[in-house]
Amino acid sequence: MADPWQDAMDHAVAVARRAGTMVRDAVQNDMKVMLKSSSVDLVTQTDQKVENLIIQSVTEKFPTHRFIGEESVAAGEACLLTDSPTWIIDPVDGTTNFVHGYAFVAVSIGFAVNKQLEFGVVYSCMEDKMYTGRKGRGAFCNGEALQVSDQKEITQSMVATEFGSNRDPEVVDKIFSSMRKVLCLPVHGMRGAGSAALNMCHVAAGSVEVYYETGIHCWDVAAAAVIVAEAGGVLMDVEGGPMDLMSRRVVAANCQVIGERIVKEIDAFSPERDDAAPPEKA
Amino acid sequence: MADPWKESFDHAIAVARKAGVVIRDALQNEVKVMTKSSSVDLVTQTDQRVEKIIISSVKEKFPTHRFIGEESVAAGQPCILTDEPTWIIDPVDGTTNFVHGFPFVAVSIGFAVNKELEFGVVYSCIEDKMYTGRKGKGAFCDGEQLQVSDVTEIKKSMIISELGSNRNPETVSKIFSTMQKVLCIPVHGLRGSGTAATNMCLVASGAVEAFFEIGIHCWDIAAGAVIVLEAGGVLLDVDGGPFDLMSRRMVSANNRTIADRLVREIDVFPAERDDAVKPKPKP
Repeated sequence: MADPWQDAMDHAVAVARRAGTMVRDAVQNDMKVMLKSSSVDLVTQTDQKVENLIIQSVTEKFPTHRFIGEESVAAGEACLLTDSPTWIIDPVDGTTNFVHGYAFVAVSIGFAVNKQLEFGVVYSCMEDKMYTGRKGRGAFCNGEALQVSDQKEITQSMVATEFGSNRDPEVVDKIFSSMRKVLCLPVHGMRGAGSAALNMCHVAAGSVEVYYETGIHCWDVAAAAVIVAEAGGVLMDVEGGPMDLMSRRVVAANCQVIGERIVKEIDAFSPERDDAAPPEKA
Repeated sequence: MADPWKESFDHAIAVARKAGVVIRDALQNEVKVMTKSSSVDLVTQTDQRVEKIIISSVKEKFPTHRFIGEESVAAGQPCILTDEPTWIIDPVDGTTNFVHGFPFVAVSIGFAVNKELEFGVVYSCIEDKMYTGRKGKGAFCDGEQLQVSDVTEIKKSMIISELGSNRNPETVSKIFSTMQKVLCIPVHGLRGSGTAATNMCLVASGAVEAFFEIGIHCWDIAAGAVIVLEAGGVLLDVDGGPFDLMSRRMVSANNRTIADRLVREIDVFPAERDDAVKPKPKP
């Protein structure tokens, strides 16, 4: 049977590459930055420009498809996943890296139908690496098939996580206490690329065994979730059990054993869900 | 006046590239690992092989020069800097990254004469980036001149540090408390590539404002030190005093303002100096 979403996936790869070229060009130039809620949570003009580019190009080709995009949501659009074909977009994952010219910046495009993720495309634009995953058909980086690490021992593992952009003392305490417990399992080391999408691609590629984070958004992880699953990995909630795309919590691991071991060390907390109803306007 | 160390500098670049190719090749194959003191502090056969390649190639060309190398010191050689021309070598900086195929692995070659660093070469071999610095002549990456960031506000800074390989609870507590204080200054973000040499090159190229760590060794930072200074940056001790190559403590930053601000947040813990006199083993 022909793949009903092949067209959409081809389009995603093409537009991700175009978007990535735009991001790379912007990094070469001076970056003009607008402030969001705090100086850590930066959003650049490029972020908006790239999201517009992606949405326009998809709308032209697939006029009935819907969108969940970081910038659209920031501008007040709803963040609800329906049964309609939906593109879940982070135009620039790793905005802080982008602002500093740090090498991990990605365009992330996930695609869901009937609330199930069908494919994901993550383009690491400074490294020029195109990661793709198509449900049931494997995950690839620049054409090479990806396979998670076969490590089963947590003490032989490399773990990825992030400090995040939330500086609320209680949240910071939980993040540090989890990290400390994980480090002292002990594990080989802890890394963080500064981009959730790329941390997950590193799990898919086998260079880290597991990535966990609380506070991420659906657009950070939708695309890479398909890539991890298709590379043979598993996705869970930070308290175990299935991953919920809208819960802002994720564990992506090479296998169930490693995922569950990490879950034991995580001090869980629950940020407001991505699909929480917006406050009523007065 | 002719540059007396130009030949050595050129040789360092050539041999760093050769060593990097050996490392890249080894990464394609299965990595066979030997353990040192703990499973975190891994040393690979490649580490020893690459150090031998570098030392034998330098000895052939400069028979009177001396060496301080990570693997030679691990094998019992002294770690003493004299006035003689001395090559300070980390064959594989980022061994844990190497073992996992995480893409930051560097060959680091520093060169000192009369105890002064003359040049440094850091070859980030998976990325294929050649960083060089020559005293008084600037720092470069693949021919492009490097310049540190001009940010002077700590709140607009990206900072690098590492959790390190020491799992002693007191040490881990100090590392985490320092990191938490730095994060909550607040700064834009905290990163770590897993290699000190590459971290310093990121300071030199302006991608991060500062890198600090306690526990690093002279061979991790000798080359990067020249590159940071020549890109316009500064080096300090973690208590704000002058940088000491053998002290295993370092802050490298884009400028003094950022460095001084970080020093206030660092909880210092002891690390035995690289040039400490080791007790003789009992017969």
